[in-house]
Amino acid sequence: MSKFVRRVVLLLMALLAISLVACGGGDDGGGDESIKVGAIFDLTGATSDVGTPYSEGVKDFVAWYNDNGGVDGRSLELVSADYAYKVDQAEQLYTQYVNQGIVAFQGWGTGDTEALRTRIATDEIPFMSASYSDVLGNPDEAPYNFLIGTGYAAQAITAVQWGLDNGASKFAIFHHDSPFGTSPVAGATAFAEANGATMAEFPMPGGATDFTAELTQVQDAGIEYILIQNVSSPAATLVKNIKDFGLDVQVVCLNWCTDELFASLAGDAGEGVLGASPFAFPGSGAAGLKEMDDYLQSKGSSLEEKGLRYVAGWLTMKVMTEGIEKVVADGNEVTGPNIKAALESMSNIDTGNITTPLSFSTTDHASNKAVQFFQIEGGKWTAVSDLITVP
Amino acid sequence: MESGIFHTTYESDMALRRTPLMRWRIYLIVAVIVILPFFGNSYTLTLANQIGIVAIGAIGLNILTGFTGQISLGQGGFMAIGAYTSGVLAASLGVPWWLTIPIACVATAVVGTLFGIPSLRLKGLYLAIATLAAQQIIQWAIVRSPLGVDAVVVPPVTIFGTSLNKLRIGPFGGSDFWFYWIIYLFMFLTILFAVNLFRTKVGRAFIAIRDQDIAAEVMGVNLFRYKLLSFATSSFIVGLAGALLGQYRGIVNYERFTIETSIFYLAVIIIGGLGSVSGSVYGAVFMVIIPAILSNLGQAFSSSAPAIARLVPFAQQAVFGLTIILFLVLEPEGLAKIWRDIKDYFRLWPFSY
Repeated sequence: MSKFVRRVVLLLMALLAISLVACGGGDDGGGDESIKVGAIFDLTGATSDVGTPYSEGVKDFVAWYNDNGGVDGRSLELVSADYAYKVDQAEQLYTQYVNQGIVAFQGWGTGDTEALRTRIATDEIPFMSASYSDVLGNPDEAPYNFLIGTGYAAQAITAVQWGLDNGASKFAIFHHDSPFGTSPVAGATAFAEANGATMAEFPMPGGATDFTAELTQVQDAGIEYILIQNVSSPAATLVKNIKDFGLDVQVVCLNWCTDELFASLAGDAGEGVLGASPFAFPGSGAAGLKEMDDYLQSKGSSLEEKGLRYVAGWLTMKVMTEGIEKVVADGNEVTGPNIKAALESMSNIDTGNITTPLSFSTTDHASNKAVQFFQIEGGKWTAVSDLITVP
Repeated sequence: MESGIFHTTYESDMALRRTPLMRWRIYLIVAVIVILPFFGNSYTLTLANQIGIVAIGAIGLNILTGFTGQISLGQGGFMAIGAYTSGVLAASLGVPWWLTIPIACVATAVVGTLFGIPSLRLKGLYLAIATLAAQQIIQWAIVRSPLGVDAVVVPPVTIFGTSLNKLRIGPFGGSDFWFYWIIYLFMFLTILFAVNLFRTKVGRAFIAIRDQDIAAEVMGVNLFRYKLLSFATSSFIVGLAGALLGQYRGIVNYERFTIETSIFYLAVIIIGGLGSVSGSVYGAVFMVIIPAILSNLGQAFSSSAPAIARLVPFAQQAVFGLTIILFLVLEPEGLAKIWRDIKDYFRLWPFSY
């Protein structure tokens, strides 16, 4: 008898445990009023130095937007968490938010964007992130990814064009030793060779502090332009090496080392370095920056303080919101596929000169086809060109 | 009054589950595993599937590190071999997914054995560095090859010609649901294999090598052969975890298989219990669930107390680190030992001696 009782108790306990698991998984469906958007940010991981201002840009846009009335009276609700640049946690948070009824998602880096690429297509969740691999702009490969920044290869090609226009014919690209780093190499090399120039390739191993061997090769080959596809800290190391080595080359940073952090890390060695940026720097006078600065001023901060990554975060969330607005304006239900269709129907989205007007289509999700060149003068990035369309 | 477990027949002494309670525990766990997917949503299923894959990978590593005493920092690299083999075969050559998994396991076993060769001469820290080299070489080879530029997109897994995403039975379906069964079937087979392995001559040879390799050799254990066999067995299972991960997520990207992955798996088996199959599973549950719980707590805080929300992500990292340190200090033998202690306490209560 007692054995029987024990079994019954065990069974009850098992059922209890199961029901707890089932209930604890998060409530389904948001309210009718707010529109839920999910986001993951890197606040504590490997890229937290740039991830933090980017996340503030995304969050502040949502706060500012809701203060100004939201989408036709409905507010945006941003559900977000730190994922510390861990792909497994990105997947957990993503599915958790999908269960909570999000209609669109803001990712961050190459790792999570790639890992979720096929998943968002099956779940039909439009996705934007700060990873600008060119493959993400191709709807055949990545139907639900939308690119706000100029693709890495497109940036590199524009930089090569800039060099060609200034009489250079020998180029080299130093890149992060990862898919993120190698992504622009093939495109830039092909473009350089098609224009009668040469392109040498040098991977930058993680943690490397000395590039003397590579720079000797650069010198022997008579290279005039060095492109850097890497993040700020290793790029600053390379630039310092170049100065110590006494090499007379023009360095061009692609977008991930074109920021305030690079300028401060590189110090004197950074003077004269060019940067190819898809977004306008704070202080460059682009009209679209005003709303960000006004909002930050009202909170006792300023856009100068937050920097370029903040601009990118704000703008990315803003474009996504414009897609949602269009769905509501057309009288459709706010769902992933409808947002995708709305974005694909939008062209020449005005960003107030922060970028070139953005255009999506059903065959092209790489909306941004221009970069602006900046140069470090006296420790500050100063515009040296208008927005230049990718050749 | 019971004062321990005494076996009076050879059958009961040799049984896999030697007490009625152990048997009941297994029935209960199996029942929970079978019922869970019908109650869970895709979030709980994602967590469950991650646990399943980590458990398989951890059992693989535990065979090598916990049972044979050969430390390995090449786990991430070996998983990458499994994932890429399975992914590329399915994506480029159109091999059916169920066939790519055993091929990936064999490929990983071959590569693992190759990198296991130095283990005859190297021990301890030196072997750790040699396997670290394996991790770096595999990662370098992948990043530098054409595979490394873009991620490998694995075609959706199909059963009887229907994609798992679309296959539904009533309210149940989707890739998380179906993969749950695939992953837990493989996990069940892996556990059954590993538990039984250490009841055989080969498994006991592994343990002998771990305890004292010279003594093992004196007893007639061929060190070279059994060390390589351990690398092969371990890599085979690790390759299985990698292949399942690739097929489940539908995309293979190298960022998942870095040195951090190797360290994560070492942490799993240390926390779970070195040299314990059930410990590998406990460790997997712990290491996947704790960050998820902390993250959920953090999200709850961020809406109710926005002032401290800024600190939550950092607190999360600190708590996770602290938990691991406390574990190592207070119970170096891991969760498996804690579970054993609890059982002993109740078994011998009130007169524990």
